[in-house]
Amino acid sequence: MRYLYYPGCSLKCSGKGYEESLIPSFQALDVQLDELPDWNCCGATAYMSVDQDAALSLALRNLALAQRHGEAGDHPVDLIAPCAGCYLALHKAQHFVAEHAEAAAPALERLARAGLGTGATVRVRHPLDVLVEDVGLARVHARVTQPLGGMRVACYYGCQLVRPYAVFDDPDRPSTMDRLMAALGADPVEWPLRTRCCGGTLTGTIPQVGVRLSELLLQEAARRGAAAVATACPLCQFNLDCNPRHAADGGGHRPLPVLYFTQLLGLAFGIPRRRLGLERLLVPLRSAAAVAAGGPHD
Amino acid sequence: MIEPNRVPGAGERDGGPRIGVYVCHCGLNIAGKVDVPAVVEFAARLPFVAVAREYKFMCADPGQKLIVDDLREGRINRVVVASCSPLMHELTFRRATALGGVNPFLFQMANIREHVSWVTAEVPDATEKAKALIAGAVRRVALHLPLEQKRVAVHPDTLVVGGGIAGIHAALILADSGHKVYLVEREPTLGGHMAQFDKTFPTLDCAACILTPKMTQVRTHPNIELLSYSEVEKVDGYVGNFTVTVRRKARFVREDLCTGCGECVAVCPITLASEFDEGLGVRKAIYRPFPQAVPGTYTISRRGVPPCQAACSIHQNAQGYVALVAQGKFREALRVILRDNPLPSICGRICTHPCTGACTRALVDEPVNIPAIKRLVAEMAGDFRLPAPERERPQRVAIVGAGPAGLMCAYELRQKGYRTVVFDALPVAGGMMAVGIPAFRMPRDVLRTDVGRLKQIGVELRLNTPIGRDLTLEQLRRDHDAVFVAVGAHVERRLNIPGENLPGVHGGIEFLRRVNLEGPFSLGARVLVIGGGNSALDAARTALRCGATDVRVVYRRTRAEMPADPREVEAAEAEGVQLQFLAAPRAVLGNGRVSALECVRMKLGPPDRSGRPAPEPIAGSEFRLPCDTVVATIGQIPDLEPLGGDGLVRTRWDTLAVDPLTLETGVPGVFAGGDCVTGPDVVVNALSAGRKAAVSIHRYLCGEDLRHGRELEGSYRTEYAIDTQGVPVRRQLRMPSLPPERRRSTFDEVHTGYTPEMGMEEARRCLDCGICCECHQCADVCQAGAIDYSMKDERRELRVGAIVLATGFRAFDARRIARYGYGIYPEVYTALQVERMVNASGPTGGEVRMRDGGKPEAVGIIHCVGSRDENTNRYCSRVCCMYSLKLAHLIRERSGAQVYSFYIDMRTPGKGYEEFYDKLLAEGVHFIRGRVAEVSDWALDPAEQGKLVIRAEDTLLGVVRRVPVDMVVLAVGLEAQADADEVRRRFNVSCGKEGWFQERHPKLAPVSTFTDGVFLAGACQGPKDIPDSVAQAGAAAAEALALVDRGFVELEPNSAFVVEERCSGCKTCVPLCPFSALGFDAVKGKVWLNEALCKGCGTCVAACPSGALQQHLFTDEQIYEEIEGVLSHA
Amino acid sequence: MARAARKGFRVSNWKPRVQYQAELDPSFPAAVAALPGAGKLLACIQCGTCTGACPMSPYMDYSPRRIIGMTRAGFRREVLGSFTIWLCSSCYACTVTCPKTIPITDVMYALKRQAIRERVYPRRFAIPALARELFRTVWKRGRNSEGRLLLRLYLGTSPLMLLRRAGLGLRLWRRGRLGLGAESVRRRDEVQRILPVAAPRRAGGTAA
Repeated sequence: MRYLYYPGCSLKCSGKGYEESLIPSFQALDVQLDELPDWNCCGATAYMSVDQDAALSLALRNLALAQRHGEAGDHPVDLIAPCAGCYLALHKAQHFVAEHAEAAAPALERLARAGLGTGATVRVRHPLDVLVEDVGLARVHARVTQPLGGMRVACYYGCQLVRPYAVFDDPDRPSTMDRLMAALGADPVEWPLRTRCCGGTLTGTIPQVGVRLSELLLQEAARRGAAAVATACPLCQFNLDCNPRHAADGGGHRPLPVLYFTQLLGLAFGIPRRRLGLERLLVPLRSAAAVAAGGPHD
Repeated sequence: MIEPNRVPGAGERDGGPRIGVYVCHCGLNIAGKVDVPAVVEFAARLPFVAVAREYKFMCADPGQKLIVDDLREGRINRVVVASCSPLMHELTFRRATALGGVNPFLFQMANIREHVSWVTAEVPDATEKAKALIAGAVRRVALHLPLEQKRVAVHPDTLVVGGGIAGIHAALILADSGHKVYLVEREPTLGGHMAQFDKTFPTLDCAACILTPKMTQVRTHPNIELLSYSEVEKVDGYVGNFTVTVRRKARFVREDLCTGCGECVAVCPITLASEFDEGLGVRKAIYRPFPQAVPGTYTISRRGVPPCQAACSIHQNAQGYVALVAQGKFREALRVILRDNPLPSICGRICTHPCTGACTRALVDEPVNIPAIKRLVAEMAGDFRLPAPERERPQRVAIVGAGPAGLMCAYELRQKGYRTVVFDALPVAGGMMAVGIPAFRMPRDVLRTDVGRLKQIGVELRLNTPIGRDLTLEQLRRDHDAVFVAVGAHVERRLNIPGENLPGVHGGIEFLRRVNLEGPFSLGARVLVIGGGNSALDAARTALRCGATDVRVVYRRTRAEMPADPREVEAAEAEGVQLQFLAAPRAVLGNGRVSALECVRMKLGPPDRSGRPAPEPIAGSEFRLPCDTVVATIGQIPDLEPLGGDGLVRTRWDTLAVDPLTLETGVPGVFAGGDCVTGPDVVVNALSAGRKAAVSIHRYLCGEDLRHGRELEGSYRTEYAIDTQGVPVRRQLRMPSLPPERRRSTFDEVHTGYTPEMGMEEARRCLDCGICCECHQCADVCQAGAIDYSMKDERRELRVGAIVLATGFRAFDARRIARYGYGIYPEVYTALQVERMVNASGPTGGEVRMRDGGKPEAVGIIHCVGSRDENTNRYCSRVCCMYSLKLAHLIRERSGAQVYSFYIDMRTPGKGYEEFYDKLLAEGVHFIRGRVAEVSDWALDPAEQGKLVIRAEDTLLGVVRRVPVDMVVLAVGLEAQADADEVRRRFNVSCGKEGWFQERHPKLAPVSTFTDGVFLAGACQGPKDIPDSVAQAGAAAAEALALVDRGFVELEPNSAFVVEERCSGCKTCVPLCPFSALGFDAVKGKVWLNEALCKGCGTCVAACPSGALQQHLFTDEQIYEEIEGVLSHA
Repeated sequence: MARAARKGFRVSNWKPRVQYQAELDPSFPAAVAALPGAGKLLACIQCGTCTGACPMSPYMDYSPRRIIGMTRAGFRREVLGSFTIWLCSSCYACTVTCPKTIPITDVMYALKRQAIRERVYPRRFAIPALARELFRTVWKRGRNSEGRLLLRLYLGTSPLMLLRRAGLGLRLWRRGRLGLGAESVRRRDEVQRILPVAAPRRAGGTAA
């Protein structure tokens, strides 16, 4: 299988570990990811809320590039966007064009003048979606060489992966990542916060409020005996990994490693730790064995 | 010019049409958009128009009077009214026309409201369109002809569909008026949802107390025929004359015999979640939803033949005896087994149990260990007898071979009373079971007892009696009325390699036979066994027990392809047998005696005929395995020589050729089955062949057809859709066995068998695929003899004049809103579940209890679950606020818990409803105005630990509140029945987009539908509480009565008619008529039409190539004129 | 209420509690409803699901439900001047739970943009500043540089934060997760051509 791949800015910087683990673990499943040539910023969330027109234009350019790339073969292109922020921004752009033709007109005009299409036919996909729908958990399971040995994982989906458009999973109680983790031999933790907001960009703009949200998440995950948290979004990972104060520095919970679900995928496939960007975590992942043992319930 | 059958009408009496046009303002409905004066002025100038008038409301008396007077005073003889849709007032104006002394069909209506004023934006456009339509109507009406309306008698009987409170009420009213009523209910009992309730709002009187008397009335009413557990399949006919096909589902208990004593329930081994108790309680497979059910007849839930039974080639009722064992009823279990199998101890040990291969439980964890349970049952039974034949028959049957096939055949025929004699060459009975299978798998005493039981019932055994020289098949045929040949396959295949005749080389079967008959003998230390089947392993393990120390199985494929039962492989390895894969023997080496085996390494190639990868030798990879003995188990063929050639045909595999369906050989009266037909095969298939032969022989001796209806003999698969979601994983209970080191030194049985406790525990893993397991326990205890497993669904045709639909609603599926936690947190309930909980006859006997049995301290009720929500249902379900108040009251009363009620708007319209709300406010229920955002077990505060937390904004106080509770009740909304759409098609009524049945008019015809003669009652038309449902049911009944009591209906005179001069006699139309109203007059060469039968569907009119078939009210001329008229203006 | 209680009861604290219709802007609801995404605003039945679902509502001055109610009633000044619209973290919890399927997050967006257009938001307020910084980088390079962005953001808003966060920055930098240099697209001109405005203004807004 081949897919077009839109990394987005974070996967090239604070979220390097995501890309580093995504590509090899997908290769292990014979899924080829070709980076979208000359992609640009998706028109991030913070931005959409402030300058719709500009944000829309940016998102649309990426979709247009993808469409052009696909017009070689006339089938609709699948564009994989691992960052939940980008994933939503791109989806939203398509919905916006469909629902608010008038407001979208100027942007489309400028794109047309630049010789770019609307990207309407592009299907924006998330790696989780692809794993469950296209690859299939059976094939994933078959490829596992180092089962995660009942490691207690709290699957954290974040908001924008399933909201507002529940494209491939339930907006309140998604299950794809949990099923994936089970297939990898992990033991997903039953918890109600899988889609509760991590604070988003507020951790940077209004930390006193934003960071609190991240801390609540980790406290609950820890309380339910999670040994690690699995994320599917660089911003979630950043917020949970970098901001909260742990028991050590006077916070309310023991430190929990916060990984990308792709890193756990790679581990289960027996891909060497160093090739999965694990060294980039601020809260390090203990040896697989120790992790499998799970953390104490407090 | 057309010459239809016509009555003399005004038109002809005083020459030419004189048309009156009347334009209605309909208040401002029309006049607001249409310039009426202009239209009137336009109409006045149209040809034939004598009068053109306008009026504010033509439908009002003064309006109609205008028409009547103009007609009476002869100013006009035809009428056009331009107003609303004919649906509203066509009848009104036809009457007025008639009142004016003119045939009512000399009238035409132009719809300038729905078609013009309501749907046109600009006055000029509207006015022009109105003119055009009127012009059309005028041109048309000029061609109208006086017609007579047909009267059709109405069938006096009525049908009510749905036995909830609405259906019950409607049925009683209809019946009391002296009409016969058929009441069809899908469930096994009357009562519907109301029967589930404890109390009813706002009066809090007991639901059962007011409902059950009406149910009893229905049962006892002479005019009501109750068809419970039945569904309407088809509705034909039309108003006054419906033909309804009802399917009476088989309940496997005869209504006429069942006394409702309930003995059956006590003995039924199958337990499942009770639908009536909304899954909070359990019921048996044979059940009655609740004590006061009407009818009181019990019902058996059956899903059909379970997969295990279907897969078994002798169709052992595994689910049956497993279910009984789960209850510790071992004797009863034995009886179930003996129905199909006289050799339980044997099969319990060495059957290859295809049943477990089909077991649904495997989808959860592992299949149920059925054979082990069967073995336990036989062991528990100890010394039992087989059922003796009821009658004796004179005929004698000879059976050649005392193996499984022969013994089974003998048993079955003996059961039928035939004299059966079994001949066998061996000194022991059992065939391969006795000589091919070692004692540590098939203890000899067990075999002897099982066979002994056959002797007890009179099966004759002649051992040491080979067929051939002394006693020929020919003789047997002469002395017996039929012969069954089941000599098995005992001749060893040869290796065909050099040195295989050296001393020390044995055939596997020969080796096993010798050990089995003469006991162990020495083979030396190193033994090689060639082959990969069960007998290879048997030989290897036997070799160990003969004292060999190094036993190695040589197989040319790999473990994955081994035909042997994996468990046997496992056991063999445990005992120390080594496995040598991908090696094939090339030569046996040694001088005077075998000293080694030369093998060649193999690799797996592409699949062969058997579907397994074909092994290919690797050139030059020869190697030697030193050994003292070689045992070759590479299969056997039957020894057919002794049987003699005459008539018996052989296949190219050296087996007997037979008819697969009947097992007949070429020789009349001689049948054959088992290994001698199939080649080496498993025991259960041999048994199946034995039974098959018995059936054939019985039919043969009775002179019946041998072939009829035998398709389902032998193994087949059933497709089973069973939801294994959430079934807790509980792996199979391993059967205890001797320690390996001990095994090597003894022929004692390896597997020592389940203890009764283990067997019962293992049996409880069964998922009861078929629901009813046909253990016949109920039948045994039923004194009335009401149980009838052979019952089939029946169809009945009813003729009725009117139909009342009262099919009710279904509750919203709370799982659809995940954030309220239903199906995730056990303490989240639906309102219906709580209705059962607070019901004295419910699962908790009226106590409000949590799953752990504790009393809740705080309970939250969430309103509008699945109502007023565009993500689910946008409408208000209308009853939830009130029943939530009721439940709040009952929960407080029963548990003393604090109740928090979260609502969006409190809707209490209805007599005494608001007062009830006041009462609850006074009782101290906490009402919080705010729609709940989430229910979770996320505790942010010590007080929330271990509770469910309801999060919602208290919109009146403007704060977000987190309320910890022990129990959450979801006030689920009402939805149209899942199959509402099929039902509406069946009865030809329409549905709104929410799925509720559509009433003819929201205000003026709330209980009638667009199909005359079909009426609506209760919640099938929209959410309704009990009072409204009952009121509507009364209304529906009354309207139905108005129809049937009048005794006739007037049909539109829109029947077709033949214009003979145009008819070419092509007969195209004749077969097309769905009511066979058309015939052909051979003499005239023309088609004729029976007007009484014609329903005016127009099919023939459209089909007629020469336009000879025309239809009243829609003649081509009339239609063309109308079109011309419209266009002439446009 | 709570605040009043803390302050204790003093006659001098009395404020008239009447909202005069004259102080409201009757054209406001229609104006907002006209903004893309805010169309369904008027369907609100004030059930409060949005507030209950919102993880930020405890920190807001007006709950999302009240913002919508006030918008509908014409409380222009209060709505556009509220913290609420800036606290929305775009988690869409409200949007997916709203029984009237009002895209509340988008309504918040619409109100933010309106507030910016009318230049009524707290000075040196981080969120619009963040957006501006982002835009400037993207305008220049077509892509975002998180490190640079945060740096400028804190410089522009609260240098103190910068200090407090320096430690974290260092740890990230050591793990190669914080580059100050930014990648850039090849065809910058194309990116600039599709963007609506000419070169953007400097960050920061003016006082409300």
